[in-house]
Amino acid sequence: MELKEKLIILADCAKYDASCSSSGSTRSNNKGLGNAAYSGICHSFSSDGRCISLLKILMTNCCIFDCKYCLNRKSNNIKRATFTPEEICSLTLNFYRRNYIEGLFLSSGIIKNPDYTMNLLIETISLLRHKYHFNGYIHAKAIPGASVSLLKKLGSLVDRLSANIELPTASGLKLLAPNKNSNEITNIMSYVKNNQSRNFTPAGQSTQMIIGATNETDLDIMQKSHSLYQNYKLKRVFYSAYIPVNTDKYLPSITIPPLKREHRLYEADWLLRYYGFKVSDILDESNPNFNLLVDPKADFALRHLNEFPKEINEASYFDLLKVPGIGVTSAKRIISSRRYFTITFNDLKKMGIVLKRAKYFITCNHRYFIDKSLFKKEFLESNLILENKSLTSPKVNQLSLFE
Amino acid sequence: MNNNNIYIYNDTFLKLLSLINFLIKNHIKPLNIKSKTYKGNLFDNIINLNIKEDPKLLSNIKTNLGNNILKIMYYVYLSSEEYKELYIYYFYLNSLKYGPKVIYKRNLKCVNLSLKISKYVSNEAHKLKGFVRFQELDNHFLYSVITPTNNVISLLASHFKKRLPNENWLIHDKKRGILCLSTKNKLYFINDEELKLNVKEKETADFYTDLWCTFYKTIAIKARKNERCRANFMPKKYWQNIIEMSMNK
Repeated sequence: MELKEKLIILADCAKYDASCSSSGSTRSNNKGLGNAAYSGICHSFSSDGRCISLLKILMTNCCIFDCKYCLNRKSNNIKRATFTPEEICSLTLNFYRRNYIEGLFLSSGIIKNPDYTMNLLIETISLLRHKYHFNGYIHAKAIPGASVSLLKKLGSLVDRLSANIELPTASGLKLLAPNKNSNEITNIMSYVKNNQSRNFTPAGQSTQMIIGATNETDLDIMQKSHSLYQNYKLKRVFYSAYIPVNTDKYLPSITIPPLKREHRLYEADWLLRYYGFKVSDILDESNPNFNLLVDPKADFALRHLNEFPKEINEASYFDLLKVPGIGVTSAKRIISSRRYFTITFNDLKKMGIVLKRAKYFITCNHRYFIDKSLFKKEFLESNLILENKSLTSPKVNQLSLFE
Repeated sequence: MNNNNIYIYNDTFLKLLSLINFLIKNHIKPLNIKSKTYKGNLFDNIINLNIKEDPKLLSNIKTNLGNNILKIMYYVYLSSEEYKELYIYYFYLNSLKYGPKVIYKRNLKCVNLSLKISKYVSNEAHKLKGFVRFQELDNHFLYSVITPTNNVISLLASHFKKRLPNENWLIHDKKRGILCLSTKNKLYFINDEELKLNVKEKETADFYTDLWCTFYKTIAIKARKNERCRANFMPKKYWQNIIEMSMNK
């Protein structure tokens, strides 16, 4: 089989992995080829808008497992291919030299047994690192069930080592991936967490779960993510909207992937990690799914209107972060600037803080952007959700004060 | 002291800083500051003071104001803003007044603009670190063409010097006619008129370029197609030099 045909088959199978980050590693050049950029670099963007920074391929798409949602399950009758280690090296090195990629993302179907597959991954990556002196970013997928000594070996060669949790609950995993065992996956995670250092997976680990293939609520998913972040110090949890590639009686029959839901999950994920939110702030038992009309933070603000509006010149850092439209950069900018001058709406605009939604929830120097008596739930809701301009249009003159 | 003079500097960052330093020390507020290529019009009072480079100036700024201030001024200098020299003048003036904390005084127009512009330049440099595409020439040199909005070639050069130390590579800014050559891990900046470049644009793409374009097409998930999102992250102005975009057209 020609290299090109292999590449088509094995990239096509790998594309459902969401992770493409290349950040977090400071691997420097060691008289060979390449280095890692701490911030990560995106090299291209595909027509679905996802970034391409790594050469994302499978070693092989032959697999002894029969996971219902996966294109490569053994009961599917598809073309199978396997890269040789040298082929992967020449692809990686030649793409890297031409600046097409930031490094390699190597995963694999499981051939023979987990240890055998894992050894193939190790052989390939150690060729890259030791024979070709490649110092670019490498993200490898650990094979569940492989022995600890192999995990140790692989982890010391790569920048990121991860295992996919696949589904938010263990029962879902049992249903759709009967050969996988959730303990094997969490074992990998705890091993990586306990051994992470400069020489062992310096960029940490991430994981991924499929959304919408089983019937969890958004609350279940957020609680799962929260515990993953807590227990395994993950850098990221990726959510992947379920895209039907197989038909099976256990799989839902949908045609359009739940992309909006996926988007809301990512928003909430950021709120957990950087904005000081708790899962209970975002969702609860009476309200277990996201509002698809407004983002989780605006939704929180609308449900807690008694805490708003916040005074820009006095509110604490985490209070500022609760304002819809103000993020980490904006909040830090406000905190560091207000020591030197009193901030007005005009200043906020100058500082590059986006007021489109924030203006409804803040006061500057105790002044609201329009008549404060309008600060009512109905007014805010209609402006945020419907973006109904007719409601605000009589106030246009006052709006223009800071435009 | 305000005056209506336009001061001319000799096209390097250090010369510009030396001129600005001189003007500030002598309390001169210029109408404008321009590089020597500035033509001007009939009513301009153009003055060339021929200020010598002050070799200690950079280290003085570093110790007194910090690296960050110097970096901001340099990035503004690399931008293609029409009044960038004036922004640097006023930013420097305010830095002398307020010290390193000047970056928090965003209510000052010159500070706010300088920070915005320098961010814009560093963002573009970061994007291009990903979007530069080398093609391999017959003599194994790697050659790449860029047409950036801002003059970011020096920022790219230091990035690729660290990354590809054993390769010979060329980055060609066709918009400004500047070439950056790296050979034996040494950098050379050359005006592209001085070096007669004989780049044979290969008729057929090389083996790996073809594979890359194939990979690019394969990796997209059709059910998630989102052209607008792609154009947001990868603006169309860069597509002409990104091989997978210009080949797949």
